[in-house]
Amino acid sequence: MTGIVQKIRSLKWHHFALILLIAGVVIGSDGCKTTGKMSKKERKAQIELAKKQLTEIINGTSTRPLESQEKTVNDIDNKHYKDSELDKMIVEARQVLKKAFAERDKLRQEKIDAARAQLLDMLLNKDDKSADELSAELAKIKAMNLGDKEIDGLIAKVEEKIAGMRNKKDVPLKTKLENSFQGIADASKAGNSNQVMSLTKSTLQLFSAEDATVLIIISREGSIVDYDKPTNIKRYLEFVRDQKASRNAVDAYELDGSGKIKSLDLIKK
Amino acid sequence: MKIRSSVIGLICLLIVASGALAQNKDENISPQRKQAIDSLALEKVRDLSKYISIIGNKSTPWSESQRVIERAAELFMENSEIGVSALSRPDVAYYKVREYFDRLMKLNYDRVTIDWYKIQYVSDLERQPDGTYVGVITIYQRFQGFDKEKGLIYEDTTKKDITVYVKRKETQIGGRLIGFWDVLLGDIRVKETSK
Repeated sequence: MTGIVQKIRSLKWHHFALILLIAGVVIGSDGCKTTGKMSKKERKAQIELAKKQLTEIINGTSTRPLESQEKTVNDIDNKHYKDSELDKMIVEARQVLKKAFAERDKLRQEKIDAARAQLLDMLLNKDDKSADELSAELAKIKAMNLGDKEIDGLIAKVEEKIAGMRNKKDVPLKTKLENSFQGIADASKAGNSNQVMSLTKSTLQLFSAEDATVLIIISREGSIVDYDKPTNIKRYLEFVRDQKASRNAVDAYELDGSGKIKSLDLIKK
Repeated sequence: MKIRSSVIGLICLLIVASGALAQNKDENISPQRKQAIDSLALEKVRDLSKYISIIGNKSTPWSESQRVIERAAELFMENSEIGVSALSRPDVAYYKVREYFDRLMKLNYDRVTIDWYKIQYVSDLERQPDGTYVGVITIYQRFQGFDKEKGLIYEDTTKKDITVYVKRKETQIGGRLIGFWDVLLGDIRVKETSK
């Protein structure tokens, strides 16, 4: 008995307190485990939450991205709640998402197709749009963020074209006119009447009026200048179109107060 | 008195001389200028060949044909005639320019091709007493008429002579005196037709 008492007395009380604390922690942690009654409650709550989330997806009321919705469905499925109603909802949500993904892909493809067509048109610039007009159109396409390699390539080409057009702003009027005449002749030869019309329209805009005088020099010897019968720019452009050839170079032009050509002298090439 | 009459005489002489020089300027044009006029007249004939091809083309819209007929008719002198021949008949029918173009547009084929080639002078431009230069240009016309099902159903080659009239005129445009050469085509006469 005395021995026992001595052993008890020999115990260090702070060791005892530490053991008690550890035991307490272990017992306490056991109490937090999903066991019995608590686990069921929590399961029920989780199933309810899952059903709510799935209902939003099935009804299409979820505002979250499709990828995030898909992750939610997978997370719920991975928890294996073994709830028949929930399982049915998972299948239904997957079908809804599959359809939504397909719809989104279809829409994206349609947008890509439309953007491709628009970009190709911009590259040809049949309507003879200005660099600013092309730039505004391009900004809209870029804002779509289509994330398509081909579209990105075309965007780069259009950007290059716009830059080229801006650099060409200083092209002399003489060159601009000669290019237009040749362009009309070439387009007419190729049977591209839309381009002929578009180029004719843009060329006429350089002139003060459709009946601005056009004189064609056939010979120049000192002070003696011989001309072909005088015509006007509208008729001259029709002539270039009909003959499918641009046979004259620009010799001189006279501008009006607003910088438009009021008379043009051409000379046989 | 003697001095005054001498001055008046000198002025008169100068006026006459300048008039004669001016006339001479038009009469004796340099070879380069003459060549430019020759080329201009040939060019007008080539222009006409393109117009004829457009008018004869069945795919040319009606309104476009009308516009081109207008341009083509402007190349001719008033009352000019164009000869039409066919392998099936020995005679040549002559039509006024507009009538010819109207008939050309309405030809009873599904497709028509008309090509002019070997366009050249047979008689050089010669100055007439009234200052007009007159010459004759010859062309060969290859005509082909197609049927949708049977294909080529008619073709011939016709040699035609076109009389050309070129006259220098002057006009005022925006305060500038412009001297231009007015080229007009006369009759187009059929010389021979072969297969």
